[in-house]
Amino acid sequence: MSQQREVSQEMQNAFVDGQLDTADWTALVERMGNDEALRRQVCELRTLKDMVKGAYADARPRRAAPAADRRSWARVAGLALVFALAGWFTHDATDRGQAAAQRHGVAANGIVVHVASSRGEVVDTALQEVEDYLRDARAAGRKVHVEIVANQTGLDILRADKSAYSMRLERLRAAYPNLTYIACHQTADRLSEKGVKVTLLPGVQFAPTALDEIVKRMQQGWVYIRA
Amino acid sequence: MNAASFIPWNKLAPWGVYGGMRMRGLFGVSAQLRARVEVQREPLYRLAYSWCHDAALADDLVQEAMLRALDRAAQLEDPQRLKGWLCAILANCLKDHYRRARPLEPLDEEMPSHAETPEAASASNQLAARVRAEIGRLPLGQRQVVTLVDLEGFSYAAVGEILEVPIGTVMSRLCRAREALRARLMDFAAEQNNKVRSIR
Repeated sequence: MSQQREVSQEMQNAFVDGQLDTADWTALVERMGNDEALRRQVCELRTLKDMVKGAYADARPRRAAPAADRRSWARVAGLALVFALAGWFTHDATDRGQAAAQRHGVAANGIVVHVASSRGEVVDTALQEVEDYLRDARAAGRKVHVEIVANQTGLDILRADKSAYSMRLERLRAAYPNLTYIACHQTADRLSEKGVKVTLLPGVQFAPTALDEIVKRMQQGWVYIRA
Repeated sequence: MNAASFIPWNKLAPWGVYGGMRMRGLFGVSAQLRARVEVQREPLYRLAYSWCHDAALADDLVQEAMLRALDRAAQLEDPQRLKGWLCAILANCLKDHYRRARPLEPLDEEMPSHAETPEAASASNQLAARVRAEIGRLPLGQRQVVTLVDLEGFSYAAVGEILEVPIGTVMSRLCRAREALRARLMDFAAEQNNKVRSIR
């Protein structure tokens, strides 16, 4: 077996990917000078690499709105406290949440609860926490808003044909007019593309994407909680 | 729980213990860093799409990754590693997605891809569509390695960190992926070969 054929595939890959140190790179270049087959193989690897890169050159987000996206990150920094509140808020009396919010200049007048899973323990916990919070707020005479935003498999809880929580959600909505349900249109579109007809429970509204809705609410000073 | 996942709301520690740390981290995110994160949106989508070949799912994954990154900004200690950090979050989002969708199937097995997507159907370049289809036939682990290296130019070590695998695994997956692509795209490669200038 000639020496040229001993150049491993890993070595050739490392060469085209710029992963060799100077000594190995120089040695391989010298060897290629005398080995046409090796040159051809390396050339094919480079061509493949270019082909892979070119194959995705036009792949761009369909729903991305660059201007809005730029704003969203700016909003996030300004509302960083909201995240901090979320962790605390769920564990303690709402009075402390209000006090902390006022101290830091953030009006915690709303909560957006993000449900991205239809798993029972996730949904049960989220609904129970929401109900407890709304009941406590009403008892304390505080005006609050709660929005449940569902996407990915979490959208199932808002689907008329899939939801195992339709009665519970309807009961909650009837008891608390300040509770709203938002479905992610992007997730619904995705299901539609797969031939799934998405019918939502009565009163459920659409948002373009869950991210859009969450960022919008955070900008308004709402607390974001991931269920 | 992996480093890039959310902490469920019912598992969060009280404000004094945890909230302050998160707050400091998020307030510490500079405008410059935020701008750099925003720049990564399109590369993240490109990667996500190359991994799943499903435009809507790729949108979802990027959205999820950005939400997670937003929540974990405090964990990014070295801004120079931002891109790799975001890609690692994206990889975890995909892993979680497949785990939820098909929890009993091993992640590194070959998965069906959606080659006939709107992007593929409308691709003016037949070669691009063919390459995408062949990449879609690769097992996910190989697909991720080859796209991280070829699309985003990550080093093997960085890919190992992103996918949480040893560098030897990165190299062997890359080797198998390119062997498969070379065999399946030989005719195209031969046609393209003449167009590529000779290497040094």
